[in-house]
Amino acid sequence: MFLSQIYNTLNHSMQELAISQILEWNEKSMEHGLALSFEEAKQMLLARYQILEHYSRVELSLEVTRELIEVFSESSFINQEIYAQTLNEMHEIFYYLKNETEDRISDVQVVEVMKNFFEEECEGSLELLRSKAEEYAEDFRRDIQIKEAMTSEDDV
Amino acid sequence: MGYTNDNDFQIGIDPGSMQPKNLKQHQYTISLINEALRTGLLSVQEIINIQNNVMLVLQNLIWRYTQGESSSVTSETAESILTSIIYAVDVYFKGLESPEAALEYLKKSNIHHAHDEGVRMISTLLEESKQLYKVIRTNKLDISVDAYNTTIDEALPIFMKKYEIIFDAPNTMASIDYPLAIDDMKLQGILYIHQYLQRLQLETEFCKLFNIDDLRELLVNYGQVCRFNYQIELFNIYELVLNNAVFAIVSEGSLGQILLSSHQSRYLESKFATMTSDQISHTIHTAIVQLQNGLGIQNAQTKEYMAQSAEVLIKRIIHTVPLHHFHALIITCQEKVTKPISFSLNSDSRMSDLELRKWLAEIAELESKEKKAEFIQTRFFSLVDYLDLFRAGILYDDEYDAIFAFFSDMELAVWARVVFHEASRTDRFDIYSIVQDYKNNEGEEWKVHYIQFMKRLDHERLQSIEQMLQKIDYEEFTYYG
Repeated sequence: MFLSQIYNTLNHSMQELAISQILEWNEKSMEHGLALSFEEAKQMLLARYQILEHYSRVELSLEVTRELIEVFSESSFINQEIYAQTLNEMHEIFYYLKNETEDRISDVQVVEVMKNFFEEECEGSLELLRSKAEEYAEDFRRDIQIKEAMTSEDDV
Repeated sequence: MGYTNDNDFQIGIDPGSMQPKNLKQHQYTISLINEALRTGLLSVQEIINIQNNVMLVLQNLIWRYTQGESSSVTSETAESILTSIIYAVDVYFKGLESPEAALEYLKKSNIHHAHDEGVRMISTLLEESKQLYKVIRTNKLDISVDAYNTTIDEALPIFMKKYEIIFDAPNTMASIDYPLAIDDMKLQGILYIHQYLQRLQLETEFCKLFNIDDLRELLVNYGQVCRFNYQIELFNIYELVLNNAVFAIVSEGSLGQILLSSHQSRYLESKFATMTSDQISHTIHTAIVQLQNGLGIQNAQTKEYMAQSAEVLIKRIIHTVPLHHFHALIITCQEKVTKPISFSLNSDSRMSDLELRKWLAEIAELESKEKKAEFIQTRFFSLVDYLDLFRAGILYDDEYDAIFAFFSDMELAVWARVVFHEASRTDRFDIYSIVQDYKNNEGEEWKVHYIQFMKRLDHERLQSIEQMLQKIDYEEFTYYG
């Protein structure tokens, strides 16, 4: 969508500032031996921009990126080699879930759901996490439909 | 917005002087930025700063919109909130003394403050609109024009209840069917509704200066002239009243008169035919002033509105008179014509049970017999539906009379065919004798009321009904009792 391009391009134009912000978060992730290089941070911003475009979403802050770094840098399944790529995939899954759950659950809850699946049932597999996210979204939507049907029956 | 290159904006630069014609009332801030950029009063860097500040306001509102639960929203939501921000800034900037003052705000990148002030002004406009609405509701004309009534009774309250000041301010979110005489449809949100209410109040106050029975008759005449059911059509009542009141004065009728004869119409047509455009304009303006003085209209806004309406009327007269179409502009009293049959005799045309139950419930809620009769007349179009209604047990005594009074001779003949089923099929059927001699007050309640109603009609009317009875198309008559 045209407008989302404007918003996200604008953020893109402020990427120097954004990159330095992401690099600041390295300080905390370094406690777990993980860090992003300047180039990786730049690539992550680009990937994030494309994901937002793809899902027709607008985000004017880096709150989600910060949350994903903070939560997933603690994972024992992620090492430095796959760190940057894993974060990019996490962005993709996060915004997929936001859309598929129709914005009915908070950012924190979405990250929590992802973290639980990743650590427990998926044991660090991104492929499994994607599959679990799809199942979760499907169940969530079905529950919404049931609730709405019950509400409309009550109204009648 | 979204400017990235100085070179994109070099063509046609006229440093230092913004052209008022380039500032659009309906996209004020955006047009102001464009004009300031064109004239070099804003640099590209300043535009980028403005954009960034707008985005900060948007970011803040996204958090408020999601109640701090999400930092992202769908593009549609973001677009809606951004449009709402620009709308509020527009409201504030248009209230400043000059475009230059608004430009100063932009230069200082004080969009956040402009937005806050805009929201405050929108909130004030909403409160004013609620007060205006109360006045309109109290003074509402007691007439059977659906669009007028539903706009006041249903659409406007929905707007007042649902209007979203911060996140969706440009959305008018109401189905306003009733057309004003002069309307600015480019306005949106509360700016539109506020203006609509102001004008509706002026129009209603003006109409209340005339006799309500005359106004009702004017509406009936209008329906007959246009050959439609005026109750369900979209048209402006004030315009009809004003035009006829002006025509009454020009045709030497009395002040406050709105019911005009065909003689007055012919007189006016021949009078206008001999005039130049300027003379017609002068005549109408003079009549408007006479009307204002005679009716004691002091309100400057009403006078201005009438003057604007007069311009529309003048153009129409100038346009129609040479084409001999003046009669289309003036509503004259119509002779009482024999109404055609307005409901179907065919049982296939009946409404669904669900719809019937809905109407019956609404009829039961109505207070007066007149309202019930009018309601029924505009919603029941099948003989079978009428029978269902009559047998539903929701009508009492003179309510039947009010409904029968709406029926034409042909329609009453159809009912005679139903009530006097066997007798009506003979060649020697004398409806006057049958009705007068009918003693039986037993049987179905509606039939008893029908016969009592018929007894009160004069001999001449009954003869007319009897003649109609011979004209009924029995091929269409699929009701068998």
